Amino acid sequence: MRVSADMARCEGHGLCEEVAPSVYELDDDAVVTVAHEKVPPELERLAEAGAQVCPVAALKVIR
Amino acid sequence: MTRASHLVASDVDLFSHALLEDPHPVLRELRDLGGAVYMRRHDFYVLTRYEDVRAAVRDWRTFTSARGTGLVPELNAGQIGGVLASDPPEHDSLRAVLSEQVSPRAIHKLRGDIGRQAAELVDAVVPLGTFDAITQLAQRLPVQVVADLIGLPEEGRENLIPGADAAFAAFGPLTPELQERLPYLVAFLEWIEQVGTRDQLAPGSWGAAVLDAVDEGRLPADKAFPLMRAFLVAGMDTTVNGIGSMLRIFAERPDVWEEVRSNPKLAGAAFEETLRLESPVQGFFRETTRDVEIDGTTVPAGSRVCLHFGSANRDERHFVDPNRFDLHRGALDHLAFGNGVHGCAGQGLARLEARAIVSALAERVTTFELAGSPVRHYNPVIRGLQELPIAVTTRARTKGVRS
Repeated sequence: MRVSADMARCEGHGLCEEVAPSVYELDDDAVVTVAHEKVPPELERLAEAGAQVCPVAALKVIR
Repeated sequence: MTRASHLVASDVDLFSHALLEDPHPVLRELRDLGGAVYMRRHDFYVLTRYEDVRAAVRDWRTFTSARGTGLVPELNAGQIGGVLASDPPEHDSLRAVLSEQVSPRAIHKLRGDIGRQAAELVDAVVPLGTFDAITQLAQRLPVQVVADLIGLPEEGRENLIPGADAAFAAFGPLTPELQERLPYLVAFLEWIEQVGTRDQLAPGSWGAAVLDAVDEGRLPADKAFPLMRAFLVAGMDTTVNGIGSMLRIFAERPDVWEEVRSNPKLAGAAFEETLRLESPVQGFFRETTRDVEIDGTTVPAGSRVCLHFGSANRDERHFVDPNRFDLHRGALDHLAFGNGVHGCAGQGLARLEARAIVSALAERVTTFELAGSPVRHYNPVIRGLQELPIAVTTRARTKGVRS
């Protein structure tokens, strides 16, 4: 599983980081970074939950 | 083999006064009736289940906003082409004008300032002992904060609450109540055109940034006032009612208030759970661009479709025990702010305002109780209160009573 982040859409709400801090991190400019290029299996559910809460649909889970 | 399409219909008037006092039993019936229900009154389809509403709000190609996000074509006409009533790419270029200013990363810098304003407002009501938490608290902070951010003069701000209320009422059916409110909308629009000018708007404000975008050719001149209006309207009744409903829950659930008071870090959780349970924007409309099948019902192209956020947020298919306020639910996936390209741009600001009010109260108030019956405010798409009588005691006073 991968997560693609649309940097142009990201507004820095930070809900992904709140839900899944081991997958998503907001950098100093509050732009999201995805910690893993390929999401480890044990973090897949968290990664999905984090993508799900993005208010502006900037995160897409790709299987 | 394709399934035979069937029409699930209802005669309920989703916008009647009586229903909106307590819409939840009827919304539950509609959720059980079908994923898409045709409403004979007012001629539209309603989506009430979480998964359907979420999918629709994220699929702007099928569920377009470009033909208006209200029920009635005559009222949609004035909205079309604005940031709410448009699709990408037009929508994105309008939203981009203020996206840096309203983004949480910019809003974060306002924290101290908004915290101070909330503290001042709370300091003004707490010594009274009893007060109306809607008009004296919940309405005050958003008006002050948003009007300051847009850069509007003090004079005339009394137009904001009734103007925004009328603007939201115009998303619903054309009723005598709406007709009565239209003068407030007109007064509000006239005021914005008067004060939304370079010489009146505060330098560096969001309003000034809109005019900068016009000067720099990023925004057509005729879109400037509608954009300022959109942000003003969106920042009023939504936040006001979110805060108002949260304060009502505090007053009715001493256990919740006590927990939040002793740990104000839970303010954010309290606000999110309130938004889920009492979604200030109950529903907005879209129009289908093609025939869509939902739960065996074909919604024909060109139908008005209500995306019922309030119902989706209480869908038992998605939330366990959905009618219960649970401070520890952690349901950040609620749809109170919508989602996707039209997901609320000001949600970071709303969260900041709500948290500021809670922190200010938690620092000063011991008991927080109803001092009378809350009175619901009627608006076809907005859920909230018009009166919330509250009695508070402070630490000093509680001690005095007990000693």
